Amino acid sequence: MLRLLAWRLALIPLTVFGVVTILFVIFKSVPGDEATMIAGATATQAEIDVVRHQLGLDRPLPVQYADHIVHLLRGDLGYSATFRANPLPRILERVPATLLLTAAAIALTVAAGIPAGILAAAFQQRWPDFAVSTGVVALLAVPNFWLGMMLIALFSVQLHWLPSLGLAGPASLVMPTIALAARLIALVGRLVRGIVIEEQRKDYVRTAYAKGLATPRVLYRHVLRNALIPIVTVVGLQTGYLLGGSVVIERLFAWPGIGDLLLTAVGLRDYTLVQGITVLFVVGFLLINLLTEMLYRVINPRLR
Amino acid sequence: MQRRDFLTALAGAPLLVGGLRAHAQATPAAALTYGQSVGVLTLDPVHGSYTLYPAGSEAALCIYDGLLTFAPDMKIIPQLAESWTMADDLKSCTLKLRTGARFHDGTPVDVAAVKTNIERLMDKQRNPTNRPLWDPVAGVETPDAGTVILRLSQPFSQLPNSLAHVSGALVSPAAIEKYGEAGIAKNPVGAGPYRVASFDPGQQLVLEAFDGYWGGRPKTAKLTLKTIAEPSTRIAALRTGAADIIDSVPVALVAQLKQDPDVAIINVPGLRPIGFVINLTRPKLADLRVRQALNLAVPVDLIASKVFFGFARAPDSPLAFNTEGYAPVSKLLHDPAKAKALLAAAGFGPDKPLELAMFVSQGLFPGDVSVGEVVANALTQVGVKVEITKIEAGSYWDAMRQDRANIKWDIGMFGFNPANASGLYHLASLFKSNADDAARPDVWNMARYHNPEVDRLLAAAGTQADRKQAAADLANAQALIWNDAPYIWLQVNENVSAVRRQVAGVEVWPILFTNVRHAAT
Repeated sequence: MLRLLAWRLALIPLTVFGVVTILFVIFKSVPGDEATMIAGATATQAEIDVVRHQLGLDRPLPVQYADHIVHLLRGDLGYSATFRANPLPRILERVPATLLLTAAAIALTVAAGIPAGILAAAFQQRWPDFAVSTGVVALLAVPNFWLGMMLIALFSVQLHWLPSLGLAGPASLVMPTIALAARLIALVGRLVRGIVIEEQRKDYVRTAYAKGLATPRVLYRHVLRNALIPIVTVVGLQTGYLLGGSVVIERLFAWPGIGDLLLTAVGLRDYTLVQGITVLFVVGFLLINLLTEMLYRVINPRLR
Repeated sequence: MQRRDFLTALAGAPLLVGGLRAHAQATPAAALTYGQSVGVLTLDPVHGSYTLYPAGSEAALCIYDGLLTFAPDMKIIPQLAESWTMADDLKSCTLKLRTGARFHDGTPVDVAAVKTNIERLMDKQRNPTNRPLWDPVAGVETPDAGTVILRLSQPFSQLPNSLAHVSGALVSPAAIEKYGEAGIAKNPVGAGPYRVASFDPGQQLVLEAFDGYWGGRPKTAKLTLKTIAEPSTRIAALRTGAADIIDSVPVALVAQLKQDPDVAIINVPGLRPIGFVINLTRPKLADLRVRQALNLAVPVDLIASKVFFGFARAPDSPLAFNTEGYAPVSKLLHDPAKAKALLAAAGFGPDKPLELAMFVSQGLFPGDVSVGEVVANALTQVGVKVEITKIEAGSYWDAMRQDRANIKWDIGMFGFNPANASGLYHLASLFKSNADDAARPDVWNMARYHNPEVDRLLAAAGTQADRKQAAADLANAQALIWNDAPYIWLQVNENVSAVRRQVAGVEVWPILFTNVRHAAT
């Protein structure tokens, strides 16, 4: 297992190198560059050319590429037109907020999705099942952006219960977490319901009941254990989706995370910044996949 | 005149919410929060100037003072200079410096500090942006402790506009020494009413009242400029009191917001006339009758009332209504029948329709895509075939500002905001002949408009000592340009901000800035 871990970790820099190269090619093949933005909307061509020269954007592409790679190895992402400096510190200072939101969303997913699914399965075709299934469909159908706006309208503007924006105390975490996790809660709830219903028909469950165990004990001690692997798979894969969804949710709640920064960077065509954040997202995604895979081995002794 | 007296004098102006507040609260709030649509990233008047626009400039208005500044109606008024006099030949300007003003670090605002700053602005390497504002300045002289003389390389009537422009802010030379040329962007030290308490670029800027401000300590002790990019979030923040002031309220949401009794709307017509620039290098568009027909085909009043809910107005000159030097020419008419007749006279009809490639930005100008679709539809009604290309805001300028061989558009949406409020600067940027029409436009003359008489009038307006005659020249230039119709003129939008009802003193400037330096409860 350690060898596998080491091998996977070693592959991450290679993947990042590939991503960096692809991004470089893409950014250099679209028209325009950072100089236009730095020089300002009313700049003349001569002014833009001065800036372009200062940034070294008038050098041959292979030279720019080599220079770029060398700087990256030193932790220098390049000159961000937005911050007029290497944007790495500005990106890193935003990471905790995004991690916090993502972790809260996963925690909420597990805390709400799994019990809801078990409840629905235990009361199959009865009103708790219908209630959960209706909730699942509703949460899957509602775009997270719209849900966030409705939450703000109700809990901030109307009721004054929760702050509508920013990161300041636990209360400010509530609405962004719900908006971000909604879809995932529904997915997990539906998945757990299906698995539990299927597992309940199996021999070991019948045996457990025959031993005289009560239903809750059978569900939690036996069924849920077997259901964990697909749940971990879905949550692990969907965490990548959470990173993507966090871009929109962070903007809506003025959350000081990297998703919000990414939207700003795209709007400004700050390629340095976009690239830095993209690479961070890629690394995050790879690490989450790795973690998911390691979790399998913990949960399922057969894989060890 | 003291700054506050000046404000009191202006209290009748509708631009000032302060004047509308008869019942101000007894105790001023210690802290106010301004929710900005874009983030404050850098705060140096040079090295690329303040970013992002307009948030950085709005922060600069609180932190820095300049020699001159603008009143809310864009009149130029003294600030750190007590008075200024342009020489008759417009080749120099003498300023009398205010005594006793200090920067936030305690160093005095003296003539040496002014000299350092002006020379910093003149330096093309350190200050590559806003060049048309500072290129004419050739030198600074400081004959005595209270006098600054700016020497100009050519007659330049708009120097006061440059000095009042936000880039003319004075930075503490001691701070430049301490933080280095590149350090001012993060550590701005000015002589304005607020000093920086903490700064998280792109997130928030916390300002605190500067006790040593020459105009007296501001009433609000703490002023937070917070980035809230999403319009609905900004509005929610205002309604919940998380923000006391917000900018850039979408006009579609104003009616809803007005129902909230705790909120007041401040709207002011901007200085940026939006239109479609016409590519005059196309033979089919070189015919004046065709350009007149295109203008007659568009229902400009409908755009103002239906797309912008009345928060826009059709222009009657190439300059917007509050621009310095603006002179009305004629109202835009909507007459599709006459448009058809003019097109027929120019040789276009059902058998041979005029075909136009239209470029529209997405999210660069207010309601740009909607306006583009209304215009395209209106042109179709008079028999013009329009092909719309929508271009993402970030790459729009590159698509528009091409050399002649690579222009892909026949008409493209454009609007110019003269940040120094000067009509002459506006007209010269857009309509002065390019040195070489085959190359990229020198400034913003993307139409490749060329009228020797306009060139002569603009040159005369900028260089002659007789200001009455200069104004007449500028008015004549506006009439000539208007009647040559190098644009399909559309609308001048209003800038819409909103405040909590008890907040007074917020100014919305026509040049897009929401100025909160006098905000108080």
